[in-house]
Amino acid sequence: MTYTIASSKVGIIGEPFIVAEGVNVAALLEGGFIVEQSTPKPKKPAKTSTDINEEI
Amino acid sequence: MATSTYLSNPLVTVNSVDLTDQTSSANLTRVIEALESTSFGKTARVYVGGLENSTLTLTMYNSFAATETYATLAALVGTSTTVTIKPTSAATSATNPVSTLTGCYLETLPIINAALGALDTIDITFTGGVYSVATS
Repeated sequence: MTYTIASSKVGIIGEPFIVAEGVNVAALLEGGFIVEQSTPKPKKPAKTSTDINEEI
Repeated sequence: MATSTYLSNPLVTVNSVDLTDQTSSANLTRVIEALESTSFGKTARVYVGGLENSTLTLTMYNSFAATETYATLAALVGTSTTVTIKPTSAATSATNPVSTLTGCYLETLPIINAALGALDTIDITFTGGVYSVATS
């Protein structure tokens, strides 16, 4: 899971938040200091039509 | 002998949140519990070092505004977190080391400490955790 900084109290807004050892991430999320960064899903490959009746 | 004037202006972070502008007092004390090992034949008590149990006590202005004191601390009560403190906001160095308590515990959080004509301030104490100091 990756996080983005949402408050200048934590760092530069918009930058990724690096979780240091011992930091309570749930508390930061609850307080609105960071937000979860949604991981973009890999794009599906374009569908290509194949002629299944193609003669061999 | 040279003398120096030291103006206390530490940088304080709680759970990675910079709360310097809400803090008016900070007291970090490194404690290693004393275990008595005095035995027969001794004429004075002697001790050996036990577990580390350092504390950081902060006096803070209580603010319920977004991403301020209450928002930082509310979810930390009864949990462990990491706090850091260094003498000044300048870059970390040998003369401005950053002290860290990793995994320290926040047992209590005063919610309101109200008095007529006075700012709402709270005292909180982080206990335990692993103490470390960095100079770079």
